[in-house]
Formats: sequence, C-alpha cells, structure tokens
Amino acid sequence: MSRVRRDRDSSRKIWIVVVVAVSVFCLIFFAARGRFTVPLSSRLVTTVMAPFQGVTSWVGNQIQYVSSNVWEIITVHRQNKMLRNEVEQLRVQNSQANEFASENARLRMLLGYKQAARQFDLVVGRVIGREAATWTSMIIIDRGTNDGVNKDMAVVTEQGLVGNVVEAYTSSSKVELLLDPRSAVGTIVQRAESRVAGIVEGNPGDEMTPRMVNISRNADIVEGDEIVTSGFGGIYPKGIAVGKVKAIENDEGGLLKYAVLTTAVDFQKLEDIAVIVNSREAPPTPLTPPVQTPGTESSVNPDDTAALGAEGATK
Amino acid sequence: MKSCLIWGAVLIGAYVLQSGFFPLLAYHGISVDLLLLSVMSFGLLKGSKSGVLMGFMAGVLQDAASGTFFGMNIFSKMIIGYLCGSVANRVFKEQFFLPICATVFATLMNYFILAVIVLLLGYRFNLIVHLRLVLLPMLLYNIVFAFPVHTLFCWLCEKVKEK
Repeated sequence: MSRVRRDRDSSRKIWIVVVVAVSVFCLIFFAARGRFTVPLSSRLVTTVMAPFQGVTSWVGNQIQYVSSNVWEIITVHRQNKMLRNEVEQLRVQNSQANEFASENARLRMLLGYKQAARQFDLVVGRVIGREAATWTSMIIIDRGTNDGVNKDMAVVTEQGLVGNVVEAYTSSSKVELLLDPRSAVGTIVQRAESRVAGIVEGNPGDEMTPRMVNISRNADIVEGDEIVTSGFGGIYPKGIAVGKVKAIENDEGGLLKYAVLTTAVDFQKLEDIAVIVNSREAPPTPLTPPVQTPGTESSVNPDDTAALGAEGATK
Repeated sequence: MKSCLIWGAVLIGAYVLQSGFFPLLAYHGISVDLLLLSVMSFGLLKGSKSGVLMGFMAGVLQDAASGTFFGMNIFSKMIIGYLCGSVANRVFKEQFFLPICATVFATLMNYFILAVIVLLLGYRFNLIVHLRLVLLPMLLYNIVFAFPVHTLFCWLCEKVKEK
C-alpha cells in the first residue's frame, strides 16, 4: 500500500517539475519578447546585493593588491637579473646601431665624392690596421692587387689626400700617409693669383702638421691658403686637397720659408678610404649661355656656339 | 525555517563571491559558477525536491541580479538540481570523484541548455569558438572548485542537521 502511495507521490512530483519547467521555459520567451516583466525584481535584488558585492569586491581587490605586491617582491630579484641582462643586450645593440649609422654616414660621403670626382676611377676600401711605429705613419687597407690596387697609387677620402700605396699585396696594401716624414707630395697654392709650388712632407717633430717646403722668401703665400696637389711627379693627380696654411715660418738657411699645414683629412678618424686606380683629365664644365638683356635675345643655339668656338680656335 | 535562512544566506554568499570576488581570477571574463556548484552539491546531498528548490532560488537570484533573459538560469538550474537530486540515493556522497564527475555533467548540461535557449531566442554564434572560449575555461574552473564546494556543503549539511 505504502509503495503505491510512494509511486503516486513520485509521479506527482515529476509532473509538478515538468509543469514548472515548461512554465519557466515559456516565461523565458515571454520575458525575452518583453511581454513579461517581474515587478521590482531586478532593482530589488541589485539594490540588496550591491553593498555585499561592493564589500566583496573591495576585499578581493585588497587581496589581489597584497598578493601581487608579495609576488612582485618574490620575483624582483629574478626580474632585476633579467632586466640587467636586457640592458646589457640593448647597450650592445645600441652601440652596434651607432657604429652602423656612423659607417653609413662615412660611406655616403665617400660615395658622394666618388660620384663627384668623375675623372678618377676609385676603389673604395677600409683601413684595417695602423702601423705601430713612432716615427712613421703607415696604414694598412683591405684592398690589394686583386682589386686593381698597385704601388704608387694615390689614396684619398672625400676630404682630400691621404697618401700613396707603397706596397700592394693580393688583398691588402700598405699606404704611406701624407704625415710620414718619408713622403713628399708636389703641391701648389690653389689661389689663382699665387699658384706657388712646393713640396709637402711629413714633420717628424709634430706628426699632425706636415710642412710645405721649398718656398722662396718672397713667394705669395699667406695663412689660410688652400694647398692642392700639383700633379708633378706622376703619383698624385692634380687638384686633390692637401690642407690649409696654418702658419708661415722662415727656414733656418734664411733663403727659403716653409708653411705649416693643417691637413684636409682628419687622420685621427681615418676609417674608409678610396684608392685612385686610374685618373684622366677632368671633363670641362658645360658652357652656360650668359643671361641676355630682355629684348636683345639672339636665337643662336648651343651647336652654333660650339661651331664658332672651333672656328676661332682654327684661326 | 532556520535551515531555509541558512541555505538562503549560503546562496547569497555564493552569488556575492561569484560576482564580486571571482571576476578577479577570471580568464577572458569566465570564472567559476558557484551557484551551479551549490545547486549540484545541494541536489546530490538532499535529493531532487530540495535540488529543484535550490535550483529555482539560485536561478531567480542570478536572473534577477544579472539582468539576463529572465527565467533562463531558473530553467537550467532547476533541471540540474532535479537531475542531481534524482541520483542522490544511489551514490556515495563523500567520494572524491562524485563532485568532479557531477560538475562535468552539470556544466555541460547547463551550457547546452542555455545555448539552446539562446538559439531558440534567435541569436546565432559560432559554436566551436564559443566552446573553446567559454565552455572549456568554465569547465576547468568548475572542476577545480567542485570538491571544495562539495566538502563545504557536506559540512554545512551536518551542521544544519545537528541544529
């Protein structure tokens, strides 16, 4: 009897659950379509819950704050190590980047010179060593006979003359600098009114200031004059900047004087150079017609001008 | 009556923790569903009638407080409370794997009921992505908290019975 009653109770319970579930299921759709709203429920529950939620959230935030601080303290040593490591790496990278930037700037300048100096065939190289001698000034470059570099070729930078190749090997060469006491470069004063010739040689007393010697006492040379190669001697092509006159001194003999020069090239910072493997006469600058007075323009074209010039030369 | 108040307070406490504290541990906005675990444990310990009642109360609380489609959580939690309660007499209540297995079942059940309701309401979503982003983290969270919550409910049941 009791089992029958229990079964009936159980089935009744299931029916109640099913009815409630179906009702709730329908309720969901009514509520979603806005046809049913539970009066005050949301506002009431939210209002009642808000203070508790606020307190819990505050406590949670405090716990998180404390735990994150504790964790930071625990990990600070390891983090410090990692950061130091990172700083070291970044320093190395930074240094490399600076090096590349500086190399880039130098090569750009050299490239600019190479494009400007069309009368020269240049082989660009790099200084790979400096001879460690007190009285002489030599450098070693990474270009040799394989690259077309030979003995007695002039070495320059975009600033001016560096020296000449004294020994050429297959993939490297020795360059005697302008500062070497053994070097002798035929030069002239660039100023048009002067054009005084002399020989620039290294000064054993002060390596950084070579001297232009063999200048007569009454020669027209003043401080600040630009000195360029004269082209005499065959090693150095004409017109390469050598330096600027810093001071004029009387020679010990009394008949001659010499000029102390500041070199055009900064030999302290010599890293990239170019070897002149071939040189020719600089092409003449193209003729530009003079500005004509408005109203008197002639219609002579450049070809006619050239023809007239040639005719004049023949006469 | 007193026990009703105690269980009501437990439910409110669970909701407050779920909405106030556990979001701090949330992964992509998903954290443990303490109300679901409460309904499941209560159903397993007290039977289907109490399970349904607990599910109903938890659902009302959640629906009213969260502002979702009203009735959605009531429906799913009632069913889960009933199903968990219906096996109450056939399981060892203090076994370790009971809450774990029940949690997997309850979480999947809850997720799919809600997903079907949302689909029936006309909203579409990518099920595969949703499974990965929502169901998987929720399942993991619930599994982690299942045993502690169930142990707490066992202890509370003993205490309430003593009183």
